[in-house]
Amino acid sequence: MSDNGVIFKATKDGLIIIMNKELEFDEIYNEINKKLISAGNFFKGASLGVKYRGRKLSEEEIKIICELMTQKTETTISSFEEETNNLGFNTDIKEENTIKENGFIKYDMRKETYSNDIKSILHSREEEGITKFYRGTVRSGQLISYDGNIVILGDVNPGAEIQAGGNIIVMGWLRGTVHAGMYGNDKAIVASLSLQPVQLRIANIITRPPDEQKYESPSVPEIAFVKDNMIFIESFLPQK
Amino acid sequence: MGEVIVITSGKGGVGKTTTTANVGVGLAMRNKKVALVDADIGLRNLDLVLGLENRIVFDLVDVVEGRCKLRNALVKDKRFDGLYLLPAAQTRDKTAVKPEQMIKLCNDLRKEFDFVLIDCPAGIEQGFNNAVVAADRAIVVTTPEVSAVRDADRVIGLLEAKELRNPRLLINRIRNDMVRRGEMMSIEDVKDILAVDIIGIVPDDEKIVISTNRGEPVITDGKSLAGQAYNNIARRILGEDVPLLDLEGHDEGFMLKLKKFLGIKN
Ligand SMILES: Nc1ncnc2c1ncn2[C@@H]1O[C@H](COP(=O)(O)OP(=O)(O)OP(=O)(O)O)[C@@H](O)[C@H]1O
Ligand SMILES: [Mg+2]
Repeated sequence: MSDNGVIFKATKDGLIIIMNKELEFDEIYNEINKKLISAGNFFKGASLGVKYRGRKLSEEEIKIICELMTQKTETTISSFEEETNNLGFNTDIKEENTIKENGFIKYDMRKETYSNDIKSILHSREEEGITKFYRGTVRSGQLISYDGNIVILGDVNPGAEIQAGGNIIVMGWLRGTVHAGMYGNDKAIVASLSLQPVQLRIANIITRPPDEQKYESPSVPEIAFVKDNMIFIESFLPQK
Repeated sequence: MGEVIVITSGKGGVGKTTTTANVGVGLAMRNKKVALVDADIGLRNLDLVLGLENRIVFDLVDVVEGRCKLRNALVKDKRFDGLYLLPAAQTRDKTAVKPEQMIKLCNDLRKEFDFVLIDCPAGIEQGFNNAVVAADRAIVVTTPEVSAVRDADRVIGLLEAKELRNPRLLINRIRNDMVRRGEMMSIEDVKDILAVDIIGIVPDDEKIVISTNRGEPVITDGKSLAGQAYNNIARRILGEDVPLLDLEGHDEGFMLKLKKFLGIKN
């Protein structure tokens, strides 16, 4: 999806549209249109500040895109301007590999149990929205990206990447890199029959397994979610 | 201003990535600031050999396409200060980068680092061109096999055509027992054909396989012969005059025979 020339990225301040500079305006327009349709009512009702980069747009072109967006998403566009900063994420970090890196908050992933009742946490989550289903093994080098939820009926191998605006469910082994809530939604969750990602991100929080230990294959399905700005991982089967 | 060195080979699987990782660590151990660039877009490996895969957030293509700053894509090594990896994108291909972008990238890195080592993909197409375009020096890796030497010869010719003269040769996976039996080309044989200076020889060493799987470059194992070989190569890159490793005597088959002869049990 990142190959078709237009990428939407949401930040806490609004939306960034990243365009491939090789594309003609017609193609850009079509891609944005497609994205908006597939986003459904994702943006509905919001007042959206939009930034763009990757390609220059004339005033005329900006007007056309604004109209398209207002019409397709029922949002008001509060601003539409070229982005000057390089990144959608906050990049003012002094040192690499500190806790906060590239706008991501980093943790080593430890499968600690969160003491509160998991049900109550999950009930507060957004569980609706459009969903993409994928059947088969997602292999190294493959990227599946979708603005809504993603369900993989198969395994996700190391080197594969799954990015969703919403939740990610893997009905198989999850051993690649996943990013749920990629536009900043920290209510998003990741669930898998065997959760052993290279890296797991939810919104702007990023975790990875600690270097020292290798997990033996866990036999229980697990779910990852954000609580207090931290990613927790728990079994989601009822305790027997 | 730092120096950009490309590690290339023509033939695949002869040890470019292993060499890049180990030489990089060797230079960093000598207090140099080193950036390792994985130019094998779509088939990235260097992060695995260094054990840094789970730290990657952005990659080379993100940088050239302006999605992040160079500084933010560089992954700091977990063991050695001054060692950084610029990972390749895994979900893209070689056409995602243009030679001009590579030149700009390397010039930016040159300002920050003493050495920029580029892990070249196999082949002589666009990936190769991107990897060599910004290089000041080249190390050509080969194994003592006719096909690898043939491809090395081809690559040396291409490098010369690109004004990258005097590439250095690294002969990898030498097995002395086989050389002695006349079943493998010797260092002299390879040198006669390719007629370039040798930067080092690295023995075939199963420790490399183990260390690659663990994500810990073999050079950190000072006792291993391959580790010593890579240390010597790092020193030679820094201009030291180090004699080639003497592989005789370390030969396992020979040691085993000697032990048996003396009646020592393992
Ligand atoms: N001296 C050695 N002794 C034993 N095994 C080695 C040695 N050098 C390399 N290998 C093994 O050979 C394989 C290929 O090495 P490496 O990945 O470094 O090659 P490459 O040239 O980068 O390959 P590619 O062309 O696919 O990028 C690896 O499995 C590595 O562990
Ligand atoms: Mg390689």
